[in-house]
Amino acid sequence: MGVPYVPVIGLVGTDLLKRRDDMVLAPDPFGEGKVTVVAKAMRPDVAVFHVDKADRHGNVSCGYHVEAVMLAEASRHVVVTAEEVVDRLTEDDAVGAFIPSILVDTVVHAPFGAHPGGLTGRYEPDRDAMRRYVAASRDDASFAAYLDEQVFGTRNHEDYIERFVPHVARQPEGVT
Amino acid sequence: MSRAPAAAMHEAETADYNDAELMAVLMSREVRDGEISACGALSHIPAAGLLLAKERHAPDAELIILNTVFRPFHTSRQFHFLAQRGDLGLFFVSGVQIDGHGNYNLHQLGPDPDHPQVRFPGGYGGGMIYYCARRTIVFRTEHTRRSLVERVDYISAAGSSPPETLRLGGPSKVITPKATFRFDNEAACLRLESIHPPHSFDDIRENTGFDLGAGEPVAGTVPPSADELGTLREVVRRKMIDTGTYAGWAERTLGTFAGRSAS
Repeated sequence: MGVPYVPVIGLVGTDLLKRRDDMVLAPDPFGEGKVTVVAKAMRPDVAVFHVDKADRHGNVSCGYHVEAVMLAEASRHVVVTAEEVVDRLTEDDAVGAFIPSILVDTVVHAPFGAHPGGLTGRYEPDRDAMRRYVAASRDDASFAAYLDEQVFGTRNHEDYIERFVPHVARQPEGVT
Repeated sequence: MSRAPAAAMHEAETADYNDAELMAVLMSREVRDGEISACGALSHIPAAGLLLAKERHAPDAELIILNTVFRPFHTSRQFHFLAQRGDLGLFFVSGVQIDGHGNYNLHQLGPDPDHPQVRFPGGYGGGMIYYCARRTIVFRTEHTRRSLVERVDYISAAGSSPPETLRLGGPSKVITPKATFRFDNEAACLRLESIHPPHSFDDIRENTGFDLGAGEPVAGTVPPSADELGTLREVVRRKMIDTGTYAGWAERTLGTFAGRSAS
């Protein structure tokens, strides 16, 4: 959006607000007499997110994940990981939201890049992997072990897919 | 004096329902015809309640059941903007903890906010919707002292706000398997509105962590009628299964009460 702050309805009285120093209460500048939260704009240096489809130039079709569009618009640099990379993608080809290449620095081809989460229309969340993640996150030691195995212990993305994405999820669409 | 078998059978049929069916019926009664009513993700019971209202008294209600076919749009941004415009009449939300001041907690448990014992995914848009929907029904499928507390461990959304705050709506009622509470805007606290048969006032007091007031006589909840239950179990159940709206839940839960009399 490129504006320094926006008014937000709600949050007053929550513990959420107590923990944010980028949100304050402010009166209506037009004198209507009501107070709202005002949230300072975020300006991330880098945004990284996973999408359904992108082309080699950085044009992105991201379905209904409109938050991704806002993320791209807010950030100085944008890295997109894509389930599928095609030669050419225009706004007319996009399903749902479209991000033009002018906002995107880098496109990485990363099949199953949302795993263990799901990607609408491609694959469902991996519930067993989610359960392992939740169990591992109970304490620091088990989570460190989880990271060692699932992140630092993999050679590359292909190795991760081979070891952690279930074979059934890797079947082409329509094959069971 | 014994009653005629037919009457006894009728009574048994209408009295036999499970907690989810009861809550769905009570929620459906809160839906107003012509209004926009909505529930969020993972809201099986409100979804059933919304669809039931549409079948019975609110044919012109607009329903938004997020992440299902019952939604006019795909993006959460459109839903948030609709709420901010003040167009959302009724919203259903659940909380891990709900307190007597109408606050709910979807974030974390434990006395020390910096070292939570358990963390949850959080409230997403709840900290905004609770202030924008004209009426919000907060529900909880467990009515115990750990879920209905004096003070929530963490306020994800606040029941009341200072009068100078821009706020379009707030809590209307809290519905549990045992009772319905009404939010008193003046006093900014929950009042026991009605007790679902066969539960007693003592039972409610025993299982509620906040003060229930001076113990004025409290009405009994009007139980689900045969027509409400029939529509829920036949029409709504079928619709949920056919549209993939919590289909598995509907199949397992609606009309499958173990004690239901054979017809």
